Amino acid sequence: MTLIPGRIAAVFGGRRWRSLAPLAVLIVLCVLIAIANPNFIELRNLVRLANSAAVPLTLAMGLTFIILMGSIDLSVEGTLSVSAMVVVLLAANDANGNDYGWWAVVAAVVAGTAMGFVSGLIQTMLRIPSFMATLGMWFIGLGLSVYMLSGSAIRLNDASIRDLALHRFLGLPVAVWVAFGAFLLAAIIQYHTKLGRHILAIGGDEDVAKLSGVNVTRVRITAFALAGFFFGVSGVLAAAQLGQSHAVIGDGRLFAAVTAVVVGGTALTGGEGGVVNTLIGVLIVTVLANGMILLGISPYIQQTVQGLMIIAAVALSLDRVRLRIVK
Amino acid sequence: MNETSIRQMFEGKWTQGAIPLVLLVALLLIIEIAAPGFLTGETVSLLFANTAVLFILATGVTFAILLGGIDLSIQAVASLASVILAQLLPSLGLAAFPVAILSGLAFGTLSGIVHVKLRVPSFVATLATGGVVTGLALWVSNGRAITIEEGGRENTAWINAAVAGVPVVVLISAVIGIAAFLALRYTRFGRQAIAVGAGEPAAWAAGINVDRTKIIAFAASGMLAAVAGVVLAARLSSGSPVLANQLLLPAIAAVIVGGTAITGGLGGVARTAVGALIISIVRIGMTFVGVNIFLENMVFGAVLIAAVAITIDRSKIAVIK
Repeated sequence: MTLIPGRIAAVFGGRRWRSLAPLAVLIVLCVLIAIANPNFIELRNLVRLANSAAVPLTLAMGLTFIILMGSIDLSVEGTLSVSAMVVVLLAANDANGNDYGWWAVVAAVVAGTAMGFVSGLIQTMLRIPSFMATLGMWFIGLGLSVYMLSGSAIRLNDASIRDLALHRFLGLPVAVWVAFGAFLLAAIIQYHTKLGRHILAIGGDEDVAKLSGVNVTRVRITAFALAGFFFGVSGVLAAAQLGQSHAVIGDGRLFAAVTAVVVGGTALTGGEGGVVNTLIGVLIVTVLANGMILLGISPYIQQTVQGLMIIAAVALSLDRVRLRIVK
Repeated sequence: MNETSIRQMFEGKWTQGAIPLVLLVALLLIIEIAAPGFLTGETVSLLFANTAVLFILATGVTFAILLGGIDLSIQAVASLASVILAQLLPSLGLAAFPVAILSGLAFGTLSGIVHVKLRVPSFVATLATGGVVTGLALWVSNGRAITIEEGGRENTAWINAAVAGVPVVVLISAVIGIAAFLALRYTRFGRQAIAVGAGEPAAWAAGINVDRTKIIAFAASGMLAAVAGVVLAARLSSGSPVLANQLLLPAIAAVIVGGTAITGGLGGVARTAVGALIISIVRIGMTFVGVNIFLENMVFGAVLIAAVAITIDRSKIAVIK
């Protein structure tokens, strides 16, 4: 039973087939939905699609680096809600007199980065697995933001920050361009910096990386801080899109981000995949969600579909030869 | 056996088992001093009753953690069970209980099969099944909370009753606790589970059916999560797809704080009982001291990280990912 997915993959040429599979899935999905409902390829819907992909794309960029190392960051929702809370409370809002404008955005991104940095410190210094460290950070972030918001929804009144979602540049909301910028930044980091290569090396084989002179602890902490940076940016985007921040602003985001990364073809074992894969993964998840709405399928069932997608993608992509023990 | 290993035995496992108990007693003493008269029969039985759901949930996840895995789907399974119960009580009456509980068994088994047969790490497998289950619960309930009406409440009344002064929920959790304790200590499954958690390659080489043991553990975790969901629904007279969402962290924290190591093989249900009581008392204590209720998650998150850092057996993981 365990060998069947591997065998199927081998039939189609193993690795090379696998690396193209997500793209094929995306294309097939688009064609099928367009046939079922031609409204799908209307310009208005494509803009809507890009808009709803903005936050997940930015989030998934950060998560990709963590998963590339073979770790996981479950604090996505906590960090995002902290960042959204900071930007809303420091910019013009309906709860206090602050009006720091774009400094609020800077502070929010810094807050996100700090959360990631702490996750990295906890994981490397206390030497506990990342899923536990970030599970703790998830609820620390959530508790902090709900506390600061006193459990209520606070409106964001700063017009220039709201313009991230409302203002359009070349037909697309600014938030989409920000997300695209995040993608370019992540691609540059992964393919053209030492940090990117070291992250891949750690994911490939941490012992070998260490023996080759990679400062594993520093790279790990930097990677978690980097992920926090991306989560922070997406927190700002989410707050701008919703025009407010509340206790459940992060709900379901972790799940969508993990689905996107995994479906894109980045292996949970680390060392394989990257931000381009994740871009395709995010598009698959967003197109599917959009398509389900167009086809009149209950939106409630979306999480079920995403869950099944995670299972299928992981089952197909794991390099099982390397895994003797799976915990 | 040389001197260091004897010292390790006393400094390591033995004291680790005792620390949570000492902590629990200390917490009780602090509360008794701060508010004399706390330790009366009535408040203690209320404390137990309020801990019951958390304990049942934590007992289930103890099985997964003892194997060195984790179950992140328990809150979703518990919520689904509450929805099923609330939905089916009017038509099925008491028969709604087994249906709801069996749904948990089914999804727990599914988690186990995905984890074992597809060789997916348990935190991802259960994150995924948790999503599947949450989606189903939202779909079945149309995203709304379902109130258990007057007619249905006749069938849930027994859960909220008391027998000889002891609340039925406490009796239920006691029965589950004892059964789980006995299952871990005296059955083949229990011994094999601990062996797998202690050293999977060795357990495998010794001829233990590792896959089956893991699937049973996850099935047990799912089933107990559903029981917790049913009890919660009966207590609140409502079922909702987000009913148990706030319970994932306290449940895992209860297991770890009780002294079960996330690396597996060390710990048990008795420790989880102590851990669940500690979490409950800390929660009451926070309200008592005047800590804002919204900060509760923050405290539990920090407690979880601290407890993991203390109980983890680092010699068992070559590379900490």
